[in-house]
Amino acid sequence: MNSPLCTIPRTIALCVAAGLLWSSAATAGDIEDSNSACLDCHDGEESAIHFADGATLTVGISADAWKKSGHAAEVRCKDCHAAIKDYPHPAVNFPTKRAYQLDRAQSCKRCHYAYHTKAQDSIHAKELAKGNQKAPTCTDCHGMHNEADKADRQAVTLRCGSCHAKISAQYAQSVHGEGWGKASANVPMCVDCHGAHAILDPRKAAFHTRSWDICSKCHADAEKMAGTGLSTQVVETYLDDFHGRSNERYAQGAGTPGKPIATCSDCHGVHDIRSFRAAKKNGTLQSEVIVACRKCHKDAPPAFADAWLSHEPPTLATAPLVVLIQWGYRVLIPLIMAGLVLHILLHLWRARVHR
Amino acid sequence: MTRIITRKDGSVWVERFTPIRRVEHILVLVTFVVLIVTGLPQKFEGPNANGILAALGGLDKTRWVHRAAGIVFSVHASVHIGVFVAGLLRGKMRWSLLPTVQDLRDALGNLRYYLGLQKVAPELPKFDYRQKFEYLGMVLGGLVMVVTGLILLYPEALAAWIPGALIPAAFVAHSNEAMLALLVLIVWHVYGSHLSPEVFPMDTSVFTGFLRKDELRERHTKEFRRLFPQEPVHPSAATPSEEVPTERAN
Repeated sequence: MNSPLCTIPRTIALCVAAGLLWSSAATAGDIEDSNSACLDCHDGEESAIHFADGATLTVGISADAWKKSGHAAEVRCKDCHAAIKDYPHPAVNFPTKRAYQLDRAQSCKRCHYAYHTKAQDSIHAKELAKGNQKAPTCTDCHGMHNEADKADRQAVTLRCGSCHAKISAQYAQSVHGEGWGKASANVPMCVDCHGAHAILDPRKAAFHTRSWDICSKCHADAEKMAGTGLSTQVVETYLDDFHGRSNERYAQGAGTPGKPIATCSDCHGVHDIRSFRAAKKNGTLQSEVIVACRKCHKDAPPAFADAWLSHEPPTLATAPLVVLIQWGYRVLIPLIMAGLVLHILLHLWRARVHR
Repeated sequence: MTRIITRKDGSVWVERFTPIRRVEHILVLVTFVVLIVTGLPQKFEGPNANGILAALGGLDKTRWVHRAAGIVFSVHASVHIGVFVAGLLRGKMRWSLLPTVQDLRDALGNLRYYLGLQKVAPELPKFDYRQKFEYLGMVLGGLVMVVTGLILLYPEALAAWIPGALIPAAFVAHSNEAMLALLVLIVWHVYGSHLSPEVFPMDTSVFTGFLRKDELRERHTKEFRRLFPQEPVHPSAATPSEEVPTERAN
């Protein structure tokens, strides 16, 4: 029951509130003014913060780099350096440089909350929570004072390698790493398989069971596979097989496997990922496949490897028995069923007409 | 010897299935249902399959139950076939469940009768060609399931003896043969033993073991003649009203 008269005071109140908000809202000009006051001293400044453990951190930043960063137009220095209100600045009381950096990175979530939550599920956040200060936080991949809108893929990959050096070297030797430096945007890098923020623990069974789905993002995509000469049927042929079918069911919630069931990486490798194409050409496929089989099927005889249909939909040439049986049933089942149904219909008809 | 009994209401019943056969039927019924319920969600995917798998406690438990039921079925099938073959060899069993040339004649005759090309339906034996078809399908299909199931259960060990290519072939055969068995069961067995006007709603003889004498005369006339050679096969010709036999036959 709102009379028009009643709405007038409300409208006025709303206008006043909007006006107040407007006056308090920062404009790009305000931010620049505020930040330039900081940059007056900090641009290229060489003095440093001294930490209890003896480490130092230079307080200077590059004003040019800052102005090119994604934050320049929207973020005030004090949005992240909240403890600093005026000059002289309060003393920095952190035992180590790393502790200080980790604390600064806590500012990111004030704006980027969604990414922060995602990252909380990651193995890196869990390591940090356990007290492993070497684990990376936002700024370790995105940088400080020079963040790009989107982190540079190659730079991030190299950054991963700075801690995961052994894996990085394996990757560089693999069929995936081979494409490094070539212009193709399709060369898979760390984050493409592991994710950027919600990096799960790849040693967990849940990761293993679903890992074929990671490969399928590229290997079942005709566009991404164009020009590589690779089949896009590798995933569906895997899912048609016993291993794939099992892992697909587990991924859909059918419990957890009592023992791990082979997925792409178990035969092709993980970071040292390899192709079997050369083996296929040389005719050494069986002897190379059986090595992969024996990782789980310890006593498998060589003939066991012939059970694998090599990611190819079965044809008369590659798997005659499978194709013949499949077609046999495709003919037999309808034929038998049609005969039985016909017999039943005739019987009913006879029972009705000649009662 | 075929047992013939007279119940308290005076009706005469002829034994069709000995107790051991009745137990066998229940065993097959249970293992078949368990194998289908645990097998289908492994073959097909989707919300229903996932629901069944979840209800059974996950894929691993479902597979365990499937394999256990498969082993029970395999042992049963082997014993059944072994006993039958031994019985035949020693002349202790009749050829009553296996097809003969006469069955082919019966089938053709019955079809001619259905089509109105023949006035009288052929007289059928204790187990008619429709039932023999089902039994034989069960045994042969069961053998396919047992052999392919064994290959799928122990692929590593068996690959030492058989070509590896048989493993994916067994995979395809196992799943297709199961579909054939299920479809035949749904269409043929459900019709023959439940929905057919002759037995609706259910032919209980495989549970009770006995078939009423007049049903035997109607549906398995040849067997009736064998057991009651003195009696007419068309009761209406002898006594106009529905005959209720009172004598105790041997």
